[in-house]
Amino acid sequence: MPDSLITLRDVTLGYDGRPVLRHISLTIDRGEFLALLGPNGAGKTTLLRGILGLIPVLGGAIEYGFDRTVSPPGYVPQREKLDSIFPLTVFEVVLMGTYARLPFLRAIGRRERSRAAECLEQVGLSPLRNQPFWGLSGGQKQRVLIARALAVEPEVLLLDEPTAGVDVAAEDAILDVIARLNRERALTVGLVCHHLPRIRSLVDTAIWVEEARAMKRPIDELPAIAPLEAAGAVTAGR
Amino acid sequence: MSTLLEILSPSFLLRDAVIASVLVGLVCPLVGVYFVLRRMIFFGVALPQVSAAGIALSFLLYRMVVGPHQHGETPEQLLAVIGSFGFTLLALLLLVSLERAGREMVEARIGTTYAIAAAATILILARDPHGEAQMVAMLKGDILAATRTSLTLMLYVLAPVVVVLFAFRKQLLLVSFDRDMATVLGMRVTLWDALLYLTIGATIAIGVMTAGPLVTFGFLVVPPITARLVTRRMLTFSIAASLIGGATAFAGFYSAYRFDLPLGSAEVALASLILMVVALGNAMRLGIRRRFST
Repeated sequence: MPDSLITLRDVTLGYDGRPVLRHISLTIDRGEFLALLGPNGAGKTTLLRGILGLIPVLGGAIEYGFDRTVSPPGYVPQREKLDSIFPLTVFEVVLMGTYARLPFLRAIGRRERSRAAECLEQVGLSPLRNQPFWGLSGGQKQRVLIARALAVEPEVLLLDEPTAGVDVAAEDAILDVIARLNRERALTVGLVCHHLPRIRSLVDTAIWVEEARAMKRPIDELPAIAPLEAAGAVTAGR
Repeated sequence: MSTLLEILSPSFLLRDAVIASVLVGLVCPLVGVYFVLRRMIFFGVALPQVSAAGIALSFLLYRMVVGPHQHGETPEQLLAVIGSFGFTLLALLLLVSLERAGREMVEARIGTTYAIAAAATILILARDPHGEAQMVAMLKGDILAATRTSLTLMLYVLAPVVVVLFAFRKQLLLVSFDRDMATVLGMRVTLWDALLYLTIGATIAIGVMTAGPLVTFGFLVVPPITARLVTRRMLTFSIAASLIGGATAFAGFYSAYRFDLPLGSAEVALASLILMVVALGNAMRLGIRRRFST
């Protein structure tokens, strides 16, 4: 019997009270590596944001098999959503992940610095710790954001299009890091992705989002819905 | 040199004005850092003007309810601070909530706010000619009118602002940089925003009361932009912005005293000159780097 980490029971999600996804019921199991796939605008990011608690649940309930106040989900946003006007080094960005466990009014200490350094090492970017974050390549920035999410010490890592807008080599490096975290640390991973052929060999299951519905199925069953993939429609969006 | 020694002397006649000037120069940029990072620079134009309208209304109410003006007296000053702070905070919350609601035409709203506030200030003063003299002096940025009372008031308001900005800099940074991440980590982003807006409102209110809208706007925006060009860490960015502001305020005071210039305008002009020099130096540095890297 798999250990459920996140359970959605008849969940409706949307914006400004208008549903985008309706009556979603599915579970994400501990240690699972899954992809959120579907046509443009189907609601993949909406589902991810709903699971993260970034948008209100309009109906139903989301249950977490862990204490979100102690161990919040590790969230990796699309890097384009962050503003380059902030003067930040790589290490400062990763340190933000440690704020979750930092007591109120306590300054960043040795433990937090050590944790951030360790996470940076896990994504292979330790030598760049003092570099300006905005001076990195797209793929490197994404790995730094993964390190920041790891610094939260999460039970689950949720990524919004981590490979969007990066070249093939950077995409390989990002996916390699994510797959390794799932394999070696049994970290539960869910990612919105637009390149199904590349991740097919890595993920166990997929949540297919289409026409306001979301269904979980083994990745092997996806050829049944291949026409959408072939049409190049599995890209990001609301 | 003798002018500098005179200004630094403990018995200098305008010592309170020097201190007030440097305090505005030091603290406004600390708040202004968030104006720049949150891309709210135009708020910095409108809000000091709104604050001025609040002060003008307070003066009018004082005359109507209490009696003739007693410029420099504590009750009147307190009423002015409350009016200034209240107006600034209300306008800030209104502008931010409209922006969050996704209404378009942000610049139009800020421009309209500025125009309404400027017109309201003049109209209110037309009904209160006795308050006009002090208001006109204030609009010119007449920090020379700073008294021991106004200096004490400044310290009471600005000291907590500085403490809040430094004590909670991690939270304020994360909420400003990545709101979603902050929410996922369980932070109450609306409360942190409210705390930041309170510090903004308090700083602008006391800045406008002491130095006028022009100087307040100048120090909210120009030193942080200058500091952003030469720093690449958050903490050094904030500290550099504050130090540039404080140093510019002192140098501006020196220039105004030495060459008999209007103080507020001298300070803002000097801050702008420093920005231009730093921007030019930065552009040259980047140009040289590009030339040698190709």
